[in-house]
Amino acid sequence: MPGRCCSSFDFGGKLVGQYLLKRVGAIIINLWLLATIVFVLVNVLGGDIGRKVLGPTAKLEDVQAYNELLGANDPLIEQYVRSVTNVFTLDFGNSFQSQAPVLDLVIPALGRSAKLALLAFVITIPISIVAGIYAARRQDKLSDRVVVNVGLASSSIPEFVTAAVLLALFAVQFKVGKVYANPPDGVGLLGQLEYLILPAMAMVISYFGYITRMTRAGVITALHSDYTRTATLKGMPPGQVMRKHILRNALAPTITVISVQIGYLFGGIVGVEKVFNYAGLGSTMLNAVGSSDIPVLQASVLVVGMIYMVSTLLADLLIAYLNPRVRLELDA
Amino acid sequence: MHCDRDTANLQGDNNMSRSSHHAERELGALERDLVDSFSSGRISRRDFLVRGSVMGLSVGTLGSIITACGGDSDEDGTAEGGTETTAAAATGEIQQGGTLRLAAQRPGSPLDPVAMDNIGSYTPVVQSFEYLCGKGEGAALAPMLAESWSPNDDGSVWTFNLRQGVKWHQGGDFTSADVVAALGRLAGANLSSYITPESAVAVDDYTVEVTLLNPDGQFAYQLSPYNPQALMTPADYELGTLFDQVPNGTGAFILDTYDVATSATFNANPDWWGGVPYLDRVEILFSDDNATQINGLLGDAADAVIQFAVSDADALFNNDDVTVESIRGAGHRQIWFNVREGTFSGENGAKIREAVALGIDRQALVDQVLQGRGDIGNDHPIAPVYEFWDSSQPQRERDIEGAKALLEEAGAAGLAITMHAPDLQEIPLLAEVVQSQLKDIGMDITLNVESTDTFYSRWCDVYDSTNEPAGCDGGEEFGIVDYGNRGTPDRYLVAAYATGEWNSAHYNSAEFNEAVKAYQATVDLESRKEAIKPVQEIANRDIPYVIPYFYNTLTAYKKNVKGIVSTGLGHYYCGKAGFTA
Repeated sequence: MPGRCCSSFDFGGKLVGQYLLKRVGAIIINLWLLATIVFVLVNVLGGDIGRKVLGPTAKLEDVQAYNELLGANDPLIEQYVRSVTNVFTLDFGNSFQSQAPVLDLVIPALGRSAKLALLAFVITIPISIVAGIYAARRQDKLSDRVVVNVGLASSSIPEFVTAAVLLALFAVQFKVGKVYANPPDGVGLLGQLEYLILPAMAMVISYFGYITRMTRAGVITALHSDYTRTATLKGMPPGQVMRKHILRNALAPTITVISVQIGYLFGGIVGVEKVFNYAGLGSTMLNAVGSSDIPVLQASVLVVGMIYMVSTLLADLLIAYLNPRVRLELDA
Repeated sequence: MHCDRDTANLQGDNNMSRSSHHAERELGALERDLVDSFSSGRISRRDFLVRGSVMGLSVGTLGSIITACGGDSDEDGTAEGGTETTAAAATGEIQQGGTLRLAAQRPGSPLDPVAMDNIGSYTPVVQSFEYLCGKGEGAALAPMLAESWSPNDDGSVWTFNLRQGVKWHQGGDFTSADVVAALGRLAGANLSSYITPESAVAVDDYTVEVTLLNPDGQFAYQLSPYNPQALMTPADYELGTLFDQVPNGTGAFILDTYDVATSATFNANPDWWGGVPYLDRVEILFSDDNATQINGLLGDAADAVIQFAVSDADALFNNDDVTVESIRGAGHRQIWFNVREGTFSGENGAKIREAVALGIDRQALVDQVLQGRGDIGNDHPIAPVYEFWDSSQPQRERDIEGAKALLEEAGAAGLAITMHAPDLQEIPLLAEVVQSQLKDIGMDITLNVESTDTFYSRWCDVYDSTNEPAGCDGGEEFGIVDYGNRGTPDRYLVAAYATGEWNSAHYNSAEFNEAVKAYQATVDLESRKEAIKPVQEIANRDIPYVIPYFYNTLTAYKKNVKGIVSTGLGHYYCGKAGFTA
């Protein structure tokens, strides 16, 4: 009964529970795999941790004592079990670089990345979806071509190039926005916007084209579908057809793309973060690699992995909520 | 010129009434030698001022001697080539209040005042912790936590008279007990080749006597910003304590917040011995590269950039709102060759090293890479700014045919090799120009320029203390590494050449080590000038490193900022700095 099921987010009581349970189980397995990969990579990177931390002139016995303290001399299997346990107990120890607790470094970085990603999404998603729908409804007309080509051009420029241009043009030349995107403590919401707007715009410009194209393609397919034609012939007002039939079906691929981009926005925008000297999760990971700060690297990678998995799960649930066919597949 | 060296038994410190009880003193043998050297015209007025300051002679005393000797006004501080701004300059124009934002390198290690090892860490720590001896004009020293100091006749015992009324940020007076404890800790670390844990003795609450392992007429430099780790920490300080975890110090600013990812902020210390600072706050904005820092200054996100490379800075040189200081110094780059084993070792290796040294065009490097802001090098680390530099040594000139012949003799014509370098300041450009110049002698150099994080974490990671002479080289036989400005060349000579921990070349020459020891044992300028000659000659002859140039340190700030004192080694003193109207 499409009419009943579309009015609420209910696709079969027990089945939802089972579905969620399966997905959470998959997340746990993925986390374990990720922890294993990080452990292998860290051991491939190798190096003498004690020597790295204490420096080249430290006495050999001090280096060995430090390695003993860290457990770096323990058998690999013991280190591996400890490493995986740390992931599930969220105890990553202290940073090799600053000696501060890892979570004291990673959580603020996560917060900063979340803030920037949120701003970028708040701008990108409505603009891109509206532009995609607009272009789809004017398929093959000049305005459609303009939207498609502008999107294509903007998304083909790497984010860090866009960021560098925005910085040079606005922050340096016109003194609009900030060169250093980290807002000082105590700056209010509007004040923070001034710091974050340029890096956010660099991301908006990059993702606009991608999300717009996905929306446009989905809407064009839905516009030409039987159910749209039937709804229109039944006399349903165009706005209702768009809302109830076209968008619900057309947005599924867009939501999938956005969910993937969430993980990327948190961990993959190193270029933008570097240009604006923004202390997000991407910069934290990059610095951790450079300085062989293994605990920070491990925690950052796992946090980004977790965000990918959770955002994908939420996207799947949203798609299921919007699209009855997906729910039927779940029921089946 | 003629004057009576006894003139120096003078009232001295006219400018510093607070130190008057220390100012009147008999000059020791070393100081009398210095006065003799000056009065007989063997050293210049500038060198006399620098040397006198190292021996603890106050500005007033030095001025009195110069006056008594009839003066020598043909030289002044501008001979250093820079436009250094000091706290004394322009203070009259400065307004009270404001926050100074400094664009600086991100700390590369924990903020441990004793063990910190990079410019990024020095910058925040020295806002709060101070040295016994501070920075004066040019390479001279000036009173800081010690109001005055003096060596005994042979430079083996140094006496420091401490400033009274100095308070620690966390409470309590700064006294000789703090100095004795701090030097005891440094004896096990940075000053281990100078003193033992028992060397420093408190004569009274405000006088400390330090007996050196070997006489050294320049020891005061080791307790100044030119030896960045020699900060005075409180008596109860425990090794390994981090500045951000237990903020303390005696300096003009008190740490408020610290986040290595973003910034450090400081509030003015109203009890600072130098008086209440003009500024309310100092904010240090961390980033990883010069370009961001320079953009910060241009984009009004920062008021000053602490240190940057000339290659990044065209936009600053051409900006009317920015003052750029060019501080002439001894900072340089070393092109290292592993002389212990591999391509550059043995007889043939020596020929290849000489070919490289002959193959580069030093003046072209200074012109192209530094835009003229530096001095050409001669393959030893004694810079022309050192007053004992031996200028009579022949300068190695480019000789393409000679270099080709040497490569031929070594059986290395057309040698293909990889040169490793960090992506730091102008070094990538230097590497490219060297690559291009050495193509002229038939060498085929591949460049491997890595981020500073990657390069330095690897540089010392393969340090192998069991394979002497050890040294940081990242496991590579050919590369470029940087050395910052120092008041004396001792750190270069000991750490990079004389089997120290930074000996990338793995160079080990008994003859050279003896020459360095003889140089370090000198206590007066005349003997130091003699002793440095063999050091320069041996380094120039053996060529474990090609040293193409000594670069000027560049720093910049907005035109409305005055009173900053920069050392060219990451220190940026803001106690007397502020904004003009």
